[in-house]
Amino acid sequence: MELAIEIENLCKVYPGRMALDNVSFSVKKGSIHGFLGPNGAGKSTTMKILSGLIPETSGKFIVNGKVGFLPEHPPVYPNMTVKDYLNFVFSIYAYTGSSNHIVEVMKKTGLTDVQNRLIGNLSKGYQQRVGIAQAIVHSPEIIILDEPTVGLDPVAIADIRALINELKNDHTILFSSHQLHDVELLCSEITLINQGKIVVSGAIDTILSDLKTNMSVKARVMNFSEEAKKKLQSTFAVETVTFEQDRENKNTILRIATKGKNDIRPELARFLSDSSIGLLEFYEERSDLEDLFKRIHE
Amino acid sequence: MMYTQKIAILAKKELKDAFSSPLIYILAGLFSLMMGWLFFNYLLQSKEMTTTTMTQGVIIPIFGNINFIFIFLCPLITMRSFAEEKRQHTLDLLLRSELTEMQIILGKFISNILMVFFMLSLTLLFPVILAFSGYSDWGVVGSSYLGIGLSVMAYTSVGLFCSSLTDNQIVASLLTFCILLGSMLLVISVNATNNYIFALMIQYMTIPFHYEGFTKGLLRSYSFVYFISFLAFFFLLTLKSLQSRKW
Repeated sequence: MELAIEIENLCKVYPGRMALDNVSFSVKKGSIHGFLGPNGAGKSTTMKILSGLIPETSGKFIVNGKVGFLPEHPPVYPNMTVKDYLNFVFSIYAYTGSSNHIVEVMKKTGLTDVQNRLIGNLSKGYQQRVGIAQAIVHSPEIIILDEPTVGLDPVAIADIRALINELKNDHTILFSSHQLHDVELLCSEITLINQGKIVVSGAIDTILSDLKTNMSVKARVMNFSEEAKKKLQSTFAVETVTFEQDRENKNTILRIATKGKNDIRPELARFLSDSSIGLLEFYEERSDLEDLFKRIHE
Repeated sequence: MMYTQKIAILAKKELKDAFSSPLIYILAGLFSLMMGWLFFNYLLQSKEMTTTTMTQGVIIPIFGNINFIFIFLCPLITMRSFAEEKRQHTLDLLLRSELTEMQIILGKFISNILMVFFMLSLTLLFPVILAFSGYSDWGVVGSSYLGIGLSVMAYTSVGLFCSSLTDNQIVASLLTFCILLGSMLLVISVNATNNYIFALMIQYMTIPFHYEGFTKGLLRSYSFVYFISFLAFFFLLTLKSLQSRKW
C-alpha cells in the first residue's frame, strides 16, 4: 500500500513544553484519516509541521505530494469576494492552469451561488467552505484539514462532511475533529493522540473491535424476575445482568454485559423471546469513539 | 512565472483592498486639507515678504511640512500590512505559497508606497498654481519631490518592519511613529555634544538631514546611498522578523 504521509519519531519542543513526543504514524494514499485527541493534544502542531508552517525539533516525516492546508481558522480576507479570493490564492500557489479550474472548485465546494459576495458577509459554514476551497484550489494530492467542522451548526456540519466525502475520490485527506460522529462516518483509519503521544493508530474497525471485548445489550421485556436472571446467568457467559421496572410503560428494562468476544445476541434474543419474558426491544449499546475519548481522559 | 510578476499579484491585491476601504480616502482628505491650508498661508505670507523668493517662502517650507506630516500618516498607512494578516490568520497562507518572504515584503512595500504616492500626488496642484503666478524654478520642485519620495519610502520600510512585529495595528503604528520621530529628534539632540565628528556622524544617520538637501535642490550622492541602505536595512529586519516565526 502506497503511503501519502509517513511520520517517524516526530518531536516538537516549545520552550518548557513538549508538544509532540515521538509521534509516528502513516496515512495511506486515497484514504480519509481521522486525527483525534483532546484540546492541546498536539493535533494542530502536527498538522502545522506537515504543512511546512513550523519546523520540527527532531524526527522526520515524508509527505508524498502537494499539500493543501485548512488551518483551524480559515485564512480568508473578509473584504474580498469569494471569486477574487480563490483567484488570488490560485495565482500565488499554482500560477499555471486555466481560470476554468476556479469555476470547477467553486462548483465542487458549493460556492457558485455566493461567488460575488464578500467573504466577511458569509455565514460561518460558507466561510469554512471557502477555507476548504482554498485548500484544494491548487489541486494538491493531500489535504490537511484542522477541525473543519468546529463551531458549525448540525446542517453545516453535515454539508462539510458530505464535501469531505466527495473529496476523497481525488485526494488523500487527513483531518482532525472533535466530532467523533464525523470521524466514525468518514474515516477508514484513525490516529488518537493525547499529550503529544500517539495512543493508537490504525484501521477504525480494528480499533473499535478491540474495544468491544465486552458487548453491552439493552432489552425491553414484559416481565423479568430474579429467577429468570439466574437462569440467564447459568445459560450464557454474561458478566452482569441488571434490570429495572419502567413504571411509565409498565415493562422492564434489562441490561446485559456479555463476556468475551463471542457474539451471543441470537441466542440471547431467542432466550428472551420466551413467552414468560416477552421480548419487546433488543439492541446493542455501541461502544464507540466517545468511550475511547473518555478513556483517554481517565 | 517571473519574480516580479508574483510581487505584482500581491501588490495588486493589496491595492485593491486598500482602495476599497475608507481609511486611505480619509487620510488623503485630511492630508490635502492640511496641506492646502498651509500652502494658502505660505502664499499669503510670501506676498508680504518681498525680499524672499517664492522658493524660500513657499516651496521649502511646504515640503518641510509634507515631510513632517508623513511622519504621522505613513504609520497609519503601513500599520495594516502584516498586523492585519496576522490577526486574520492569512499570513500563513502567504508564507506557505510560492511567494518567497522577500517577494511578500516587496509586494507589500510597493502597494504601500503607491498609496503614499497617491496622497502625495494631491500636492501636484501646488506647483501648477505657482506656475500661473510665473514661478519657474522647476529644478527645486523636482528635487523636492525626489527627496520626499525617498523619504516616504524610508518611512514605509520602517512601518512594514513594525507591522511585522505585532498583530496589533495600533501598536504597529505607534512603534513606527516613535522610531520616525526619534530619528527626527536625533538631529536636535546632537546639539548636546561638543564633538564635531560625532555630531556629523549622528546627523548623517537621520532622515531629515538628507531630505533637507533635496528641498534645497542639492542632489548629493551620499544621500542616495543613505536611503538605499536605509531601505535595505529595514527590509532585512522585516525578513528576519517574518522568518522568526519558524525559529
